[in-house]
Amino acid sequence: MSRLASLLVVLGVAGVAAFLVASALPLFASGEFFEILLGRWRPYASPGEFGIAPMIVGTILLAATATLLAAPAAIGLVAFAHGIAPRPLARLAMASVHFMTGIPTVLYGFVSVSLLVPFLRNAGAGGFSLLGAGLTLAALVLPTITLTLHSRIEATGLEVRLDCAALGMRPADTFLRVLLPRSGPGLLSATLLGFCRAAGDTVVALMVAGNAPQFPSSYLDSVRTLTAHIALVLSTDWSSPEFRSIAAAGLLLFVFNTALTAALRRLGPAEPPHVRELR
Amino acid sequence: MSDAVWAGLAGVLLLVAAACTRPEPAVPAEGALAAFSGLEGRIDIGGGTAHIPVMQEAARRIMTAYPRIAITIEGGGSGVGVKKVSEGLVHIGNTGRPLKNSEQEAAGLQSFAFAVDGVALCVHPDNPVASLTTAQARAIWGGSMTNWREVGGPDLAIQLYNRDEASGTREVFWEKLLAKGPIADRANVLASNGAMKVAVAHDRGALGYISIGHIDPTLKPVSLDAVEPTQENAVSGAYPVVRHLFMNTRGKPGPLVQAFINYIYSAEGAQIIQSAGYIPAPAPGGGPR
Amino acid sequence: MCANSAERRPRCAARLLAAFAWLSGLGLPVLLGLAISFLIARGGSTLGPSLLFGDVPALAALTGRAPVFDGLWPALAGTLALVVGTCLIALPVGIASGIYLSEFARGRWARLVNLCVDVLAAVPSILMGLLGFGLILLLRRTLLPDAGTCLLLAIACMALLVLPYSIRTTEAALQGLPEPLRLIGPSLGLTPKQNLCRVLLPTSSRGVLGGAVLTIGRAAEDLAVILLTGVVASSGLPAGLTSRFEAIPFRIFYLASEHRTGAELELAFGAAVVLMGLTAFLFGLAHLLHGGLRRRIL
Repeated sequence: MSRLASLLVVLGVAGVAAFLVASALPLFASGEFFEILLGRWRPYASPGEFGIAPMIVGTILLAATATLLAAPAAIGLVAFAHGIAPRPLARLAMASVHFMTGIPTVLYGFVSVSLLVPFLRNAGAGGFSLLGAGLTLAALVLPTITLTLHSRIEATGLEVRLDCAALGMRPADTFLRVLLPRSGPGLLSATLLGFCRAAGDTVVALMVAGNAPQFPSSYLDSVRTLTAHIALVLSTDWSSPEFRSIAAAGLLLFVFNTALTAALRRLGPAEPPHVRELR
Repeated sequence: MSDAVWAGLAGVLLLVAAACTRPEPAVPAEGALAAFSGLEGRIDIGGGTAHIPVMQEAARRIMTAYPRIAITIEGGGSGVGVKKVSEGLVHIGNTGRPLKNSEQEAAGLQSFAFAVDGVALCVHPDNPVASLTTAQARAIWGGSMTNWREVGGPDLAIQLYNRDEASGTREVFWEKLLAKGPIADRANVLASNGAMKVAVAHDRGALGYISIGHIDPTLKPVSLDAVEPTQENAVSGAYPVVRHLFMNTRGKPGPLVQAFINYIYSAEGAQIIQSAGYIPAPAPGGGPR
Repeated sequence: MCANSAERRPRCAARLLAAFAWLSGLGLPVLLGLAISFLIARGGSTLGPSLLFGDVPALAALTGRAPVFDGLWPALAGTLALVVGTCLIALPVGIASGIYLSEFARGRWARLVNLCVDVLAAVPSILMGLLGFGLILLLRRTLLPDAGTCLLLAIACMALLVLPYSIRTTEAALQGLPEPLRLIGPSLGLTPKQNLCRVLLPTSSRGVLGGAVLTIGRAAEDLAVILLTGVVASSGLPAGLTSRFEAIPFRIFYLASEHRTGAELELAFGAAVVLMGLTAFLFGLAHLLHGGLRRRIL
């Protein structure tokens, strides 16, 4: 019976893949697919352009911003928890990270819209921006990166730590020279996982990034991600060129995330961090 | 522990089951609402976001008097309204623009215009700019003017707030004010009139456009070529960016949906429309208002 | 601060790391605390029966006798219905698959299933919504011309979304059992199946339940899926599996971006506090269950 259940899982994935490929198939047949990937989004020009290149750039920039902001903080937190801080403080920090995994995404967006966006506006910037969304998403993916890295570092045996301590190494040195290098590609896979999560998020991008379909020229510019594009445009006509861009965006997101997953599996077990948390 | 969890789950199930049964109303309704007596079922409404306040108030009154009638309301924009009603996904698809011939014929849609509404440019209340010419507006939206200083305001970058592709408000604004001219890529995109109001009300540099019915003291409407955007000017024709708000059904509406449409056209409906900030349009065929 | 001679540079890096670790280790709890107290300060005052039921008497609202328009009750009921439905589908399949992966799966099929679980876990939730939306269009053209986006569709898509969580947590709970415990049963002559049902599952049940609770939390919070599969701004209580519904995360999203009055914004903060409380409760429960597991075995 449990075998049957696992069959359902495989069928589910096959169904998702088949659906996305099938809806993008007409685009391949007509040769439009790459036109859409490379084109700009100007539905109000004549003739209209319905490309998603700005959204692809927006997604990559936003996810990269979030990951690059979160990764150093994650390293700091993990180092904090592995020897630098006294035990109670370390527990408090990690408990905060664990708790963050349980906070609904929409609340990150909501707090950001109520606090961060007005703050950025007062600082003289357009509030809905790459920077605002990047900061918010950094908070969202921080637990993912931290907990993945944490679990990899924790896998390092006690003997190694004791050896380091016996050699008189300070905790910070131990972490930097022994634990972090020994975690192998732990940092890389944690960061990639964070990137994956940031690129796949819809709600924060939709609420905070501003949704302008442009190539941003500064961090204060408004951007639209692929996910937000799907949410915004799904509401139009579903025989229109706008709607066809959704099929392309959907397939692209799926292929991208699947490829990244495959890469992560090569780097080691790629489980969501909260699973580790349960161990 | 696990027993407690299962008991909790069972309790929740029961609660949901209890909540899903709808008993008869306690008090029979009067006035225009009496037409719903004996009717039950569901009306799904979707589409135009300018319509939402009217629909919600009507739904509230009807559902309070007749708990066996369920009315669900979603936004999405006029494009969604047309498409969903054509597909039969909703019973009433709202649009803030007239249907195109192709749309009307494809699914045999029937349109019911129930209110007149203008689309006004709007800014933050602190912005001293009170009036723009059509040429200025087109230059700003096209992206060639980017600072409020150029139109007599403070030295502040103009933040454009545009609506999504499905929006009827956007379509009317773009056709009637911008004459289908270009819109700068950098414009932020919002998904509803409500969201437009909130965004513009919080951004000193904002320039957006909104259904006149949604204007309140949290934002400032901008006169166009010295004509104030009010519903009165919209009805008289002095203000050019005007549209009707429509309810659309696929084919002839069923009894419940017809009752809902009649209710919107009733005197009580007119009062709801008015307090939402719109001017009621006469019923088709000059029926009593 | 650091001398620039070559052998001093490593010390400098370590010091920098230590300083940064203190900054992030202390900064995060402080920032988190500030954000949460901001939500509670803004939303706390709205807590009370009127947040849930508006001006409708609680009993009439709870039994559906009077519809609620100014309160969160319809959204809360919608979320509860969504979560219960999702669990009815996702938990049996997820737990069974988790058991399979942990105890029985070997060889190529196991690798395939594992890959599929990882791929499924990485699918952005908006794509699940897109799938549901496409599915309903397909169904309308073929088998069910009257189908529309609805609670059942949202439940199905949500179940697919949370399935990997349920599988992985179950698997982890079973894998976390100490090796000696696994061997006792067979050494006493139990068949693998008996060992699973009599020894492994009972001892790991807290972990499995903890995973179930995390799955519930995920189903309660996700917005992108339901955004495309049937959530609406106003519907009253969910009238059945084929009707559209309200949900708390959507309520927050909707009110945050388009509150018409200050009171509606307050309602959004109230809803945020309610959702926060709900997920914090689930989170605490999951940890309680899991902590219990650890204590019992080790």
